[in-house]
Amino acid sequence: MNYFKTIINGIVKENPTFVLLLGMCPTLATTTSAINGMGMGLATMFVLICSNTFISLLKNLIPDGVRIPCYIVVIASFVTVLQMLMQAYVPDLYKTLGIFIPLIVVNCIILGRAEAFAAKNNVLASVCDGIGIGIGFTLALTLLGIVREFLGNGAFFGYQILPSSMNMLVFVLAPGAFITLGLLIAIVNSIKNRKA
Amino acid sequence: MKKLQSNITNMALVLTLIAVVAAGLLAWVNNVTSGPIKEINDQAIENGIKSVILGDRNIEFTVDDPVEREGFIFHSVNDKKGNLIGTAVESTDKNGFGGALKVMVGFDPEGVILGYTVLEHSETPGLGAQADGWFRQKSGEVKEQPAVVNVLLGAPGKPGNHNIIGMNPGDDMMIVSKDGGAVDAITASTITSKAFLRAVNAAYKAAFGYTAADAVSGASSQN
Repeated sequence: MNYFKTIINGIVKENPTFVLLLGMCPTLATTTSAINGMGMGLATMFVLICSNTFISLLKNLIPDGVRIPCYIVVIASFVTVLQMLMQAYVPDLYKTLGIFIPLIVVNCIILGRAEAFAAKNNVLASVCDGIGIGIGFTLALTLLGIVREFLGNGAFFGYQILPSSMNMLVFVLAPGAFITLGLLIAIVNSIKNRKA
Repeated sequence: MKKLQSNITNMALVLTLIAVVAAGLLAWVNNVTSGPIKEINDQAIENGIKSVILGDRNIEFTVDDPVEREGFIFHSVNDKKGNLIGTAVESTDKNGFGGALKVMVGFDPEGVILGYTVLEHSETPGLGAQADGWFRQKSGEVKEQPAVVNVLLGAPGKPGNHNIIGMNPGDDMMIVSKDGGAVDAITASTITSKAFLRAVNAAYKAAFGYTAADAVSGASSQN
């Protein structure tokens, strides 16, 4: 069950947000609400799986000297494809996430996994790595989004729980993103240390 | 298959090949999706015109072909007999909090605002992104909350006026109350509110030639 291990590895041991601390820009920018975080995570997962697949297929064809430009072309193509598909078929999600989608091109998780995993492993393992890291990223962003939306807007996935007078606006703004992320990483680490 | 050597011929060939294939893929997807995307955008404009001019009224109407002038797009709406009911104006202010803010405002022939809708924005979710609802909330409308919250945190303050429906930018000072205007800004989103009101005033000015806010906004709205 090597492939299963690869998936779990991406979610827990090498979680891109809580352990590797990769892709911080979209993490902090898009998690103002749970649904935005989840949408961004799923969009990134799509690009990650596609780029991992193709890069591992092409790994012997691409000479080392031009591998980074080649990877970027592959990644950017998939991001643009995703952007056009979302615009055409899920316009509502595109309306909220639109400005963040092109950011996926420069998301270092994707280039990082292409370089560190897909370029060295076979196609199936690379797909599993894409799924694992993608799920790990999606879970982390959704969790951040849930916390920030609850504290900042008193809502859970858009459903109002607390009255608006109890909102702490700072959690929707940039400083709240850093505070929440720091606390979540601390919690994850303390749970991990207790287990060890 | 052995890994290709990094000599100049291989590198140039492979990179060109990948770029060409990628361009082909993008052209194909663009071809497939451009139809639905255009349909969605046209639909959004059509619904926008209907909602900003007619609101809840259910009457027959016809829309003239859009006229573009100085970056504004005008849609004139007529009733069955051909009388002008109102004009929907698409207007963009490029200095929102996160980028351009595109709105459509409906004016009746006298210049009274019948309705508005935000077509495109990049504002902060939960803050500036409320613009689509905020400026049509009735003045004095208090959000309901449980009695226990009132006891713990005090009754909510009396909200000022941020309903622009029914205002006339030719007579009313359509700038934020902080700058001496008649409209309350969205809480913690003054930049978005200013951009929104600039877009509305610009739309009115393009249609009717002047606004009441001209005298002061010349200095304050540029920042």
